[in-house]
Amino acid sequence: MHSRTRLAVALLALCGAAQAQQPAAPSHLRNNLSMCVGCHGIPGYKTAYPEVYHVPKLGGQTPAYLVNALKAYRSGERQHPSMRGIAASLSDKDMEELAAYYGGNGK
Amino acid sequence: MNRLLAIAVALALAGGAQAAGNAAAGKAKAAQVCAACHGADGNKPIAPENPILAGQHQDYLVKAMKDYKSGKRNNAIMKGFAATLSNRDIEDLAAWFASQKSALHFQR
Repeated sequence: MHSRTRLAVALLALCGAAQAQQPAAPSHLRNNLSMCVGCHGIPGYKTAYPEVYHVPKLGGQTPAYLVNALKAYRSGERQHPSMRGIAASLSDKDMEELAAYYGGNGK
Repeated sequence: MNRLLAIAVALALAGGAQAAGNAAAGKAKAAQVCAACHGADGNKPIAPENPILAGQHQDYLVKAMKDYKSGKRNNAIMKGFAATLSNRDIEDLAAWFASQKSALHFQR
């Protein structure tokens, strides 16, 4: 097999394994979660702007911390252009549900 | 081929940046500065508002501490602690916490 093909197959297998370990998200969360997984759902993903670093792991984090982080992004107290835009679209209830999903499930 | 080489060099550099920081020195510093609120290994926050640090990405931890220190990230408690840390301390602490096992995990 071509080495690039082999790499692609291995990556796909890894993705499958990661998904298999995790329960499906509740249906009412999926719309909001789709905004998170674009960055936090990619293993090893790094921000591209304005600074480069790995986006934090959310799974297993304390829910109260996650809610506070989202609220701080929404208010602009915590600064990141993408996170501010996303948090601005979330209600308090949305934030609590997302935090419970990341902090509570999938262990 | 040139592109592959560039990627390899970038990865090597990124690896080097990751390796910065002395986890043993970070452990000692953590016992003085961080442990009371986050737990000695960053795994046992004393309050639910405090994040788990163990197993978090090293470069993210560095960024968080630097942002607290500069005031870009505004938290009265963390600002006070971060102000006492040198850049060396920050790298060491990040190396220590990032290398600890925890319930923190990648989740879609």
